[in-house]
Amino acid sequence: MMLDQLKETIKTALPELDFVMGWTTGYDPLHATPLYMYEPDDVDQLIWGPLNVHNLAVHLPALRHKKVGIVVKGCDSRSVVELLQENLIDRENVVIFGAPCNGVVDMTKIRKAVPDAHFARSVETADNSLTITTDKDTHTLSLAEVMADKCTRCRFPNAVEADHFVGEKRIPAVETDPYADLESFESQGFAERRDFWMAEMDRCIRCYACRNACPLCVCRDHCVAQSREPHWVSQRDGVRDKFMFQVIHAIHMAGRCTECGECERACPMDIPVLLLKRKLGNVIHDLFDYDAGLDAEARPPLLAFKLEEDSIKEKDW
Amino acid sequence: MRIGVFVCHCGSNIEGTVDTAEVSRIASDYPEVAFATDTMYACSEPGQDGIIEAIGEHKLDGVVVASCTPRMHEATFRNTLERAGLNPYMFEMANIREHVSWIGKDREANTNKAADLVRMAVEKLRRNRPLTPKEFDINRRVLVIGGGVAGIQAALDCADAGLEVIMVERESTIGGKMAKLDKTFPTVDCSSCILGPRMVEVAQHPNITLHAYSEVDGVSGYVGNFSVKIKKKARYVDWNKCTGCGECVEKCPSRKAPNTFDELIGPGRAINIPFPQAIPKKATINADYCIRLTKGKCGACEKVCPAGAIDFDQQDEIISEEVGAVVAATGYDLFDWTVYEEYGGGRYPDVITSLQYERLLSASGPTGGHVKRPSDGKEPKNVVFIQCVGSRDKSVDRPYCSGFCCMYTAKQAILTKDHIPDSTSYVFYMDIRAPGKLYDEFTRRAMEEYGAQYIRGRVGMVYPDGKGNLTVRGADTLLGKQVEIQADLVVLAVGVESAKNSPQLAEKLRISYDKYGFFMEGHPKLKPCETNTAGVYLAGACQGPKDIPASVAQGSAAASKVIGLFSKKKLKSDPQTALVDIKRCIGCGKCVLTCPFGAIKETDFRGQPKAEVIETVCQGCGICSSTCPQGAIQLRHFTDNQILAEVEAICRF
Repeated sequence: MMLDQLKETIKTALPELDFVMGWTTGYDPLHATPLYMYEPDDVDQLIWGPLNVHNLAVHLPALRHKKVGIVVKGCDSRSVVELLQENLIDRENVVIFGAPCNGVVDMTKIRKAVPDAHFARSVETADNSLTITTDKDTHTLSLAEVMADKCTRCRFPNAVEADHFVGEKRIPAVETDPYADLESFESQGFAERRDFWMAEMDRCIRCYACRNACPLCVCRDHCVAQSREPHWVSQRDGVRDKFMFQVIHAIHMAGRCTECGECERACPMDIPVLLLKRKLGNVIHDLFDYDAGLDAEARPPLLAFKLEEDSIKEKDW
Repeated sequence: MRIGVFVCHCGSNIEGTVDTAEVSRIASDYPEVAFATDTMYACSEPGQDGIIEAIGEHKLDGVVVASCTPRMHEATFRNTLERAGLNPYMFEMANIREHVSWIGKDREANTNKAADLVRMAVEKLRRNRPLTPKEFDINRRVLVIGGGVAGIQAALDCADAGLEVIMVERESTIGGKMAKLDKTFPTVDCSSCILGPRMVEVAQHPNITLHAYSEVDGVSGYVGNFSVKIKKKARYVDWNKCTGCGECVEKCPSRKAPNTFDELIGPGRAINIPFPQAIPKKATINADYCIRLTKGKCGACEKVCPAGAIDFDQQDEIISEEVGAVVAATGYDLFDWTVYEEYGGGRYPDVITSLQYERLLSASGPTGGHVKRPSDGKEPKNVVFIQCVGSRDKSVDRPYCSGFCCMYTAKQAILTKDHIPDSTSYVFYMDIRAPGKLYDEFTRRAMEEYGAQYIRGRVGMVYPDGKGNLTVRGADTLLGKQVEIQADLVVLAVGVESAKNSPQLAEKLRISYDKYGFFMEGHPKLKPCETNTAGVYLAGACQGPKDIPASVAQGSAAASKVIGLFSKKKLKSDPQTALVDIKRCIGCGKCVLTCPFGAIKETDFRGQPKAEVIETVCQGCGICSSTCPQGAIQLRHFTDNQILAEVEAICRF
């Protein structure tokens, strides 16, 4: 069994490490929570499956001085690669445990499908389905039905970089990123798109969960959204200020964002903020033929100074 | 802070369309403005005295001058503040001339805009802090890029002044275009006779190091301390051993190689010494045509070389040189004459360029100085010159005058008569431009004494007449009719364009260039050989079309600028540099990667990686501060807070 194999691998590596990050069952069987494994006994609590939604790479920059292990899905591994690229973590201090991912669930979709999901008693996961037993009922959902959108277009179900890879590699859902969601959104008129965003951003409560969950939001105490020095964004709760923050966030992520979707997953108001990042990701892809988080040696195009870009012809020579 | 605002009339330049008195009245209400006035000419002596007086009288800590471009007078007013005892960096300038009065006529709108710009400057100044420049040493060596006549002049003048000169020349010999000329106008003296001795001087001067067949690969650093990477291209001949005897050239069987020195009209060889007076007189192998290098056979040169200098394994080599100043003297290239299909250039062998004709006239040229048609070697009797081929023609994107074609055409008409006394020269011209000393007299002599037939008008078409000659059909606009001339030879007076790859070199040197690729001078009138990058100077036709006297004059001027720069004991750096807030920096090193000047390095601060700015290297461009996600790196006097304050000043409503 793959999980047992993964546990064994972690146990073998653990003596060399301060600890290893993974997932375990949280406050109810439907919600996983990060697990810190210091001792071999801790490893027994590890779980693997569609409930492991969190991207644990977010913790790595703060743990730079420790030698830690991290269990990753394919998308998480891209965040790790991006952090390595940007010199925010040290390769020799991180041990990556990769496993093939079959997609993770979107809790919003589950809540819609199972109205009493809050009272989950037990959750059984199979390869392509999920059975939730609540106080009243038992629901069997197909994984495809409740899978996060990002997983339906996943190109990298296996870790792109790993020290230990456990299990058999999976075949990706798609080969190239289909930007169909973006195209259909952009086919609307300006007014519709503006109204859409104004309505969405109006619900924002400025909790910054999107930022805190983002593995590449590394400004820590000096986030542009809260800094008074300089005072770029006011503390007002108007839709303009909230939107302004999202736009700044998206632009900071252009060419760096691996579209792991943590921002959108963490949003308590279900605001589709990943769409903004996907738009910029698409632009970067078209302009620079670059995908973030695939090669630890590559340099994000917006963090490079180049006199003449290959695809942006400013001069005719 | 107590701020003084001075709004300049600039005569009628600003006052003509801006109510300066009203601007100063509005400005007096801005925060921390203690004094505001309008003044006739702020930069004049009484204007500056007025500023100094007001600083004393109103106890000002900072000054805003609303006038012209800071490029012109920022330094002036900084000095004024220093004379008044203030820190020169407690000064801001609002450009209400170029940005306001010159671009709009609506007095009320202009006045409002000027007041807004002054408010921005006040808000910025409120956040300025006194800055002190750092002093640094000068490396008293100079790099001259290009070994044409301008570069040679600049190098010799610098070397004679005791400076160490590094000269880099792209070709395998110095001499440039002038070395290819037969005679020079208006004196008709032999070009290589006057240039040759100067080339020899370059070779023999103890202060000059010549890197021929080399190119500038990269430039980093700043005025006083440039670091230059020079690519010495593989020449496949050990120049330390080569004596320039020419045995190898004789024996080389590869005869299809282009002879660039003879402008492709002479026979070429894969191994080549450009001309007898070449400096350095060393052989170079053209790798594209060498049979040994392309097919692995031959090696005839290696067998005959008495010095054993042939080295087929040679590779490009990158060397580094440290210099304090750079003179760019990269010259020009000829316009591609084949663009004018109606003239038949490139199609008919007897339609040649003026520089090819120059090689036919030259005693060291492929015909030994005998004028022979390329097609059949016959002596031409009717020679037609067509001027302005690639000059003053918007249709080929060359609207500028190339400056010297009128003159060299007159010279060539004279020389043609000298070589072939029974010949007739016809010159199709738009108008004659001969403004130099003795120039007009020279062209008149071509017409009056040498009988050159000048026809004012453009040529419509050149075509073969079927009997081995060419028919030139054009307009004579003075007679108002079509003319047709039977020509044995047609010479196209091709115009000038910027040297190949000059924009790329400009980017390496971080100097500006115009849309045609010519390097931009610091000021078209007052700084003709400076650039806007300190320590980089221009000489010759790289700045725009120039004849020999002008190139030489500018070469000397550039040299005098270098000598002036190096006469200072130490240089001061601009203190408006980037500064790292160590608490904010997370040590990601993005700034290190993006800085185009290599001015940021990673350091260790209590076990954490942090960025550190090397102040004398920092050019204050601000790329790092826009890269840094947490705003930990800020440009002094252009901080995020200052820019935000300016934005807010202008977006108050």
